[in-house]
Amino acid sequence: MKNLSKVLLLAGTALTFLLSGCGQSNNSAKGGTISVSNDPRAYAGQTITVVFYYPEPKKAISEFTKKTGIKVNWVNMGWDQVQTKITSSSMAHAYYGDVVLVDWSRVGEFYRTKWFEPLNAYFPEKQLETDISAGKLKAYTVNGSLVALPIDTYVSTTYVNKADFAKAGITKMPGNLDEYTADLKKIQSSGVNPHPLGIPFAAAEALSTTWYDLTAAYGGEVLSSDNKPLFTSPSSPGYKALTWMVNAYKQGLVPRGNINLTDTQVYNQVAQHQVSSMFEGWSGMIGGFFDNPSDSKVIGQVQYIPTPGINGQAPNLYAPDGFGIPKTAKYKGAAVQFLKWFYTPDVQAQLAGLNDKNEDILSLPVSNTALNMMVKANDIEQANTLVNLLQTSAKPVFQNGPPPSYSKFSQAVYTNIHSAALGQETVDQAIQAIAQAASSN
Amino acid sequence: MYVRAAKKWNPWPYVFTFPLVVFIVGLVFYPAVVTFVDSFLNIDVYDNTTKFAGISNYVSSLQDPSVDHSLVNTFLYVLIGVVVSTVLAIVFALALWRGFKGRGIFLAILILPWALPGVVEGIIWNWIFDANSGVLNSFLSSLHLIHHYHLWLSGNRFLTIFFIELVQIWQITPLSTILVLASLQSIPKELYDAATVDGSGHWRTLLAITLPLIKPGITIAIIESLVMTFNVFDQPFVLNGNATTGSSIMLQTYNIVFSSLDFGKGYALSFLAAIFVTALSVGVLKLIYRRVEY
Repeated sequence: MKNLSKVLLLAGTALTFLLSGCGQSNNSAKGGTISVSNDPRAYAGQTITVVFYYPEPKKAISEFTKKTGIKVNWVNMGWDQVQTKITSSSMAHAYYGDVVLVDWSRVGEFYRTKWFEPLNAYFPEKQLETDISAGKLKAYTVNGSLVALPIDTYVSTTYVNKADFAKAGITKMPGNLDEYTADLKKIQSSGVNPHPLGIPFAAAEALSTTWYDLTAAYGGEVLSSDNKPLFTSPSSPGYKALTWMVNAYKQGLVPRGNINLTDTQVYNQVAQHQVSSMFEGWSGMIGGFFDNPSDSKVIGQVQYIPTPGINGQAPNLYAPDGFGIPKTAKYKGAAVQFLKWFYTPDVQAQLAGLNDKNEDILSLPVSNTALNMMVKANDIEQANTLVNLLQTSAKPVFQNGPPPSYSKFSQAVYTNIHSAALGQETVDQAIQAIAQAASSN
Repeated sequence: MYVRAAKKWNPWPYVFTFPLVVFIVGLVFYPAVVTFVDSFLNIDVYDNTTKFAGISNYVSSLQDPSVDHSLVNTFLYVLIGVVVSTVLAIVFALALWRGFKGRGIFLAILILPWALPGVVEGIIWNWIFDANSGVLNSFLSSLHLIHHYHLWLSGNRFLTIFFIELVQIWQITPLSTILVLASLQSIPKELYDAATVDGSGHWRTLLAITLPLIKPGITIAIIESLVMTFNVFDQPFVLNGNATTGSSIMLQTYNIVFSSLDFGKGYALSFLAAIFVTALSVGVLKLIYRRVEY
């Protein structure tokens, strides 16, 4: 029996070393410079893996395969799972995809960790800027390095239910933050809606982005270009924004139960006519979710307004999704060909749902040409307001890209605002805790 | 003269168990060893450097106030979860063992929560606990037991933990019930016949015969619920987000690894958690488990 135990132990140890060896061998996939052919059919026969949170747009992908000979294995994975997958696979130097979703918030982190191939060499900035606004590219650029490419035009917007505003006797839409606050109080006091404002107060990412937007509405930014906190003084925009949010919750402008609601649940509140406005929501809900008879009770009632800031129209923060090529990708040349195809205006418009809603995987195209194609085809609801916002006031959340430890910073932001709203800590304590997290970046 | 026949070596047991050994070594032993080794390293993902860190990851884990906070939360999850699920499991198992009309349907309903993924359960219970329009508020309000809708989650730390743990109890009780029921069904009927002849009443029979004889099943049920409640993650994450009021040690470990990218500290904390839960399980085994032979 003793001998048997020894044999099993030895076998186990040998297997451990064997597996350990297998793990090490994957290090060879660390990657390097990509040499890419200009011939679109140079990589015919290769199969690339694309990781994204929407199902495969089959018609478009089959056209890509027909054109290039490159096959696509489309992996449909939840947003959270993609984030975990990137971290765990990159740490293990393991292959997990050739073209992968890169969220704007992790750009600073990926710049420092070098988990993605810089794309400048294959997509020169000047060439991209002919069809993609510089502000959009800036969201994916850190110190001149293009970490990934933005693929859509997600911009934060303010939604109002115009029917509720009219019922409360409001004839002119608010032009600044004070008017917006006064209008919400009027809707509340007139009995049209006892809790008119939808803010997702759950301790999750959407609470952080609401604060960034409100800080911009107060005329400031959260972090300096070298990622130092700009919100510690009570007279700073960030401090005032947090105070405004906490007061809105405590005064009952926001439904009490929103303390546990995320952004998707608040969109549902708008659609179900439980709230009359959402200060910060992603563009694209009008003509989509808010106007879909199976989801919404407020069809035709919701409209965009220029985001109300303390001195008039506030900036609309731009937080797009992007595609990057991981260092561990196997078919980098084919991946570059895929991205080149993806950025052609026709494909962008097709993937934003022009002519075929089954192919719709993008909120709005990142390509200006594609955006204009959709506006001309009347495919975007309230296009004039939206396009005007995009052209005049959209800017990235962080001017020099998100900080490297963005996830840690954002966690401090949303947990402390959540606690402050509940009265578990004061606004000042929340601000100090967030500042401490920012300083430790 | 008696000659003992030479025992012929039979390779088949080893052949058949080899895949299992590979499985356990590959998916349990190897990751555990790697986690242990890496817990002594300072892995800097930004500079792509790895340095020996001694026990500093363990020290910083134990000195981290958010870890301490989530550890206390986790103990509360374990305490509430293990006690309530075990008591419920014994009650349900005794009811099922005695038999009643509709036993099969009851058993099927009982098993249903066990089969559902934790995240799906979280979503269902979110709908129940919702403070704006949730079922629980609506139900209590219709009975005039409450005058305004309550915030069941997030408002108060202990209430939050209690309600989140209720959801996990709903999930783990079915397995505990099945384990206790299996023990009950293995008790020979003759023992009860003898007890009846000796004039033992229901309570006396329960306390002197039934409960002592199902101790192995109860022990396994307790260990199972202890491991699951200690590792609670889905329910607080879905119901309470990343709020500190309900943060568990597993949620904290996840944050350390995937938000802070502090891998060494995360490995140290997960290794400490594994040691802790193993020690607790062994303690329960020593304290309660008694070998039963009929």
